[in-house]
Amino acid sequence: MNVIEIKNATKDFGDFRLDNISFEVPEGSVCGFIGQNGAGKTTTIKLILDVLNVDAGEIYVFGQNIKEDSAKLREDIGVVFDEMGFHDFMTGKDINIMMKNIYKNWDEKVFFDYLKRFSLPAKKPCGSFSRGMRMKLQIAVALSHNAKLLIMDEPTSGLDPIVRNEMLQIFREYVLEEDHTILLSSHITGDLEKLADEVVFINGGKIVLAGNKDEIIEKHGLLKCKKDELKEISESLIVYAQSGTYGAEALVNDRKACAKLYPEMIIEQASLEDIMLFYVNRSISGKAADTSDIINK
Amino acid sequence: MKGLMIKDLMCLRKQMILFAYTVAGVLALSIMYVLSARFGNIAAANQSMMIENNMSEIDINNLSTEALILFMLIPIAMVGDTTTIFKMDGKAGFSGVSSILPISIGQRVMAKYLTVLVMFGIGVTVDIVISFVLSRLTDIMTFADFFGIIISAASLMIIYGALVILFCFLFGYGKEDYAIVVSCAVILITAILVNLKRIKMIFISMYSANSESIDFFSSFINFIKHKSLVLFIIAVIVMAASYVVSVEIVKRKRGMV
Repeated sequence: MNVIEIKNATKDFGDFRLDNISFEVPEGSVCGFIGQNGAGKTTTIKLILDVLNVDAGEIYVFGQNIKEDSAKLREDIGVVFDEMGFHDFMTGKDINIMMKNIYKNWDEKVFFDYLKRFSLPAKKPCGSFSRGMRMKLQIAVALSHNAKLLIMDEPTSGLDPIVRNEMLQIFREYVLEEDHTILLSSHITGDLEKLADEVVFINGGKIVLAGNKDEIIEKHGLLKCKKDELKEISESLIVYAQSGTYGAEALVNDRKACAKLYPEMIIEQASLEDIMLFYVNRSISGKAADTSDIINK
Repeated sequence: MKGLMIKDLMCLRKQMILFAYTVAGVLALSIMYVLSARFGNIAAANQSMMIENNMSEIDINNLSTEALILFMLIPIAMVGDTTTIFKMDGKAGFSGVSSILPISIGQRVMAKYLTVLVMFGIGVTVDIVISFVLSRLTDIMTFADFFGIIISAASLMIIYGALVILFCFLFGYGKEDYAIVVSCAVILITAILVNLKRIKMIFISMYSANSESIDFFSSFINFIKHKSLVLFIIAVIVMAASYVVSVEIVKRKRGMV
């Protein structure tokens, strides 16, 4: 079963357009939603949550069209944004009072346990919290109403590696439950590489890649060669090629086929970051790079 | 929805502390005023005004009533400023939180209106207590007169509050001061248009030296004392209309409010 299903969703802001996007997030998975800043990640998340109205297309959450009763659906969704949104004067206790009168399944014991675990003072106004503490507070709120789906928009950006690691551990614990699903948007691909099962890559309002993370990484490869060797490679295999310090490097979309066809060339496993960078560069240049250009450089 | 109202009331916590001090001050001053109007310097001043300025007992009573009306207005006016909630929500970026809660847009907007009503409820309750105390100490006004004035003042403030909320949603965060100015302007222009004939007569009376202006003020006082129900019905209609329009605005501006 898919927890999130987006079918041909379009949202036009005039200066930016989310263009006919479609993808699914299976139940029990961690889906990494990657893309550079301004690619359309936050807009997509807002469409899923029905915070923004979709211009065209359909969005289903837990198998139900969000247009039917999005407020009810949000009862089972925990959300973490990159900015906190709580008033500076509010303490953990204030937030608990507010939330227990909003969520039917609010569990104050779980909430205060999380505050304790995160070393967050329950009586201190959250305005005095550091960025890391604010994110932890949001996560504590998102995890305290028995949510089955956790949607997070850049939760780890701007955090130090220790706090980031701590958070990733919490997310891992969360998905241990079979019916728990995470959609995690980030441009820090390293975090997603550690955590995600599925990956959706968005660029310029369009979905570029979507599927199983391991398969995507397995499929793509980073080919390193001399500049003049690049012209021997079939253009259909190259996602994008660029000149490096000592030669040329290209992202290929079928590592195994490439290795068979060109056994003398070095093809390394590409990281999610490499894949993202090469696809973004291709969309900027509008083509898979002219190999003759690189050779002549 | 209850949770959002609790949050809104938390935003008004500081305002409520100030309100408590103001109520204590109003109570003390109004008691001093009615006692002085009965036994002290104000009573003596009223007597000399009746002799020297040829004023009737009704005129003196009207003057004292106006002073007491002011005392009654202060507590309700104190709870009338709900733009604080919008200002604080805008500063914190609370729309990001409220839009992901399992609460519909209608309920989110309703929470704001109910908070305003709760605040006015507090103001009205305090005023009723003060008026009960004052009506025991003076014969300037009966408790029924006081009650009529309180309902009129509360109705007027409800109209103001409903307009402020509507304009806050319409203009968006950071423009709450404009919402106040426009709401006041709407009320003032409506009041002028409704009373255009009478205002015209006041200006004419200024040159013809008749007592039209005094009649206008005494009829105004009589209106708010005895016809508070009319104002209250208008307030309910304005609030309902404001709610319906606000929901539509928020639906249209989704993601921004």
